[in-house]
Amino acid sequence: MGHGSQFCHARGAKFLDAQRLTKTYRVGAETVYALRDVSFSALQGDFVVINGPSGSGKTTFLNLIAVIDRPTAGEVFIENQATSTQSEGQLAILRKTKIGLVFQSFNLIPVLSAAENVEYPLLLQRRPKAERQERVRALLAEVGLSDLARRRPNELSGGQRQRVAIARALVSGPMIVLADEPTANLDSKTGEAVMDLMRRLNEEHCVTFIVVTHDPAVSRYAGRRVRIHDGRLEEGEGDGVAASAS
Amino acid sequence: MDLKLALRNVFRNRRRTAFSLTVIAVGTAVFLFVLAYVGESLLSQRLASACETGAVQVADDRVFENQANGYDALISRDLQLRVVALASEQPGVLGTALELDFAGLVGDANGSTLIVGRGLTPCNCVPNYTCYAIQGETLEGAGPREGILGGKLAAKLGVGIGDSINIATGTVSGNFTAATVRVVGELAYSLGTVEEQLGLFPVEFVQRLLKTDGVERVLIGLEDLDKAPQLADALRAAFAAEGIPLGVRTWQELSTGYASSQSFFAAFSGLAGVSVFALVFFSVVEILTISFLERTREVATTRAFGASRWRVFRGFLLEGAMIGAIGAVIGVLLASGLVAVFNAARIMWTPPGSAVPRAIHLSLSLSTALVPLVTVILATLASSVYPAWKNARLSVVKALQTV
Repeated sequence: MGHGSQFCHARGAKFLDAQRLTKTYRVGAETVYALRDVSFSALQGDFVVINGPSGSGKTTFLNLIAVIDRPTAGEVFIENQATSTQSEGQLAILRKTKIGLVFQSFNLIPVLSAAENVEYPLLLQRRPKAERQERVRALLAEVGLSDLARRRPNELSGGQRQRVAIARALVSGPMIVLADEPTANLDSKTGEAVMDLMRRLNEEHCVTFIVVTHDPAVSRYAGRRVRIHDGRLEEGEGDGVAASAS
Repeated sequence: MDLKLALRNVFRNRRRTAFSLTVIAVGTAVFLFVLAYVGESLLSQRLASACETGAVQVADDRVFENQANGYDALISRDLQLRVVALASEQPGVLGTALELDFAGLVGDANGSTLIVGRGLTPCNCVPNYTCYAIQGETLEGAGPREGILGGKLAAKLGVGIGDSINIATGTVSGNFTAATVRVVGELAYSLGTVEEQLGLFPVEFVQRLLKTDGVERVLIGLEDLDKAPQLADALRAAFAAEGIPLGVRTWQELSTGYASSQSFFAAFSGLAGVSVFALVFFSVVEILTISFLERTREVATTRAFGASRWRVFRGFLLEGAMIGAIGAVIGVLLASGLVAVFNAARIMWTPPGSAVPRAIHLSLSLSTALVPLVTVILATLASSVYPAWKNARLSVVKALQTV
């Protein structure tokens, strides 16, 4: 279903290319490096797990490749298009159409039901109502929440909320899903279930998943493992082919 | 979904929303109440004005400009008939009345004082004599040698209903003339100085007293006072076509006090509107700022999913407008209830320009309700602009870090 399936034939095509990313912050008179000269590529259908301790730059890196933040230096290419020259509005369209996001705290809108939360990205894309309803129904079924579609987030468990968040990330048919510590607020069993789900969706939909985590247990789901330490990226074990540390 | 989302967000923090709605509703109700009072005052005043002048008057221009010398600007009998005929052809005209005024002395064996006598056609078709607060007979019921005196004038003379008085004045040709009149009624007038001198008499009596068949003015009554300017224009055109050398004035032109009252009440209403706007704005802006900033993380999430800044901004504005609209509707209902209670209490008052006490009757119309409704919605909308703009401009990355 969705764009995932239609891109399955393109498995292995380079979708994301980050080149020599540097991100600095000013703390008083001092310049702090969150990321230093990081290059990274992701292929269609990859399942990449990025490990690293707290404060190592994982989330900063994720924000840059999600184009919700801009690097101090370097460039993020999405489908060979440079993003640094694009306006806020163009980046918003890019996020709306190509990128799905999953957050550590789920970030569901509390006044909307599970189904409405999943529907929200489709509204941003101005999809027709019938199509929205169909896709929401299918996605909720896929994450096993058909029966809880009308529940508000506060009526769901942590695992259920994260599954809603995953359905929301996938509903608009993105080419890549970026997940920031998706299991951090879940117990280990629920975390495993969520990771199983993401891995299954990655395989079935051919959607690239990049999961940032400090939880070593998540690494076993990786098709490719990358480590960030002190703002530098190191290629780890797995079948990754395009990561490099500068 | 945008509407649904805004509505649900409005009722997310019920206590806060209840406070906002209370401020907005009370502001709307107070403003509406003020407007209803202003409307009642102006209505009473215009009725009082037109009650005395008629909707439209016809007279020699020198009369209107206070440049007549004695009785040299009277309307002849022939012209009176032509004017009355022309006026009667116009749509909405209730009737006509003739007026002839004089100044003279009034008294009895005990003494005399000044009188300003007003001779009027003894019908209630144009001037509504009840605006004079008459005790006893009105002119309609008065005989050819009967009249009504101002209450203060009667007191000064020491006469009452049923007593006879002597009136002395000059005829139109300047000769001395006098007559005896029986007092059949006493009137109250909004101005004490006028009440001390005023007397109403049948116009035929005054004509006989002054030895003339002329009148000073022709008063014309209209069903709808607002159509006085149209009637005046139609009469001016007819007079020009027929060569009638008379001027026409509307009640608005004759009642300068009404225009001043209108300006005063407009300023008063404007001040009330600005006060309500400020009250709603400053009360709601703080609440909305807190309410909106609490949702920083949600905003960041929607922005991360590709919602534009404009969409975020618009969503918050919609929420503000919704609070304003709900509060305003509650305010209108509240004001309607207050007005109903107020009217049921039948509080008496003497409206400006009138001498007749009457029960205050406030009325609310859709057009009256629209002004406070729009004012508070705009105030709420204005109070949501800054927090909405601030939220829409948030850095997504920083906002996502908000707990």
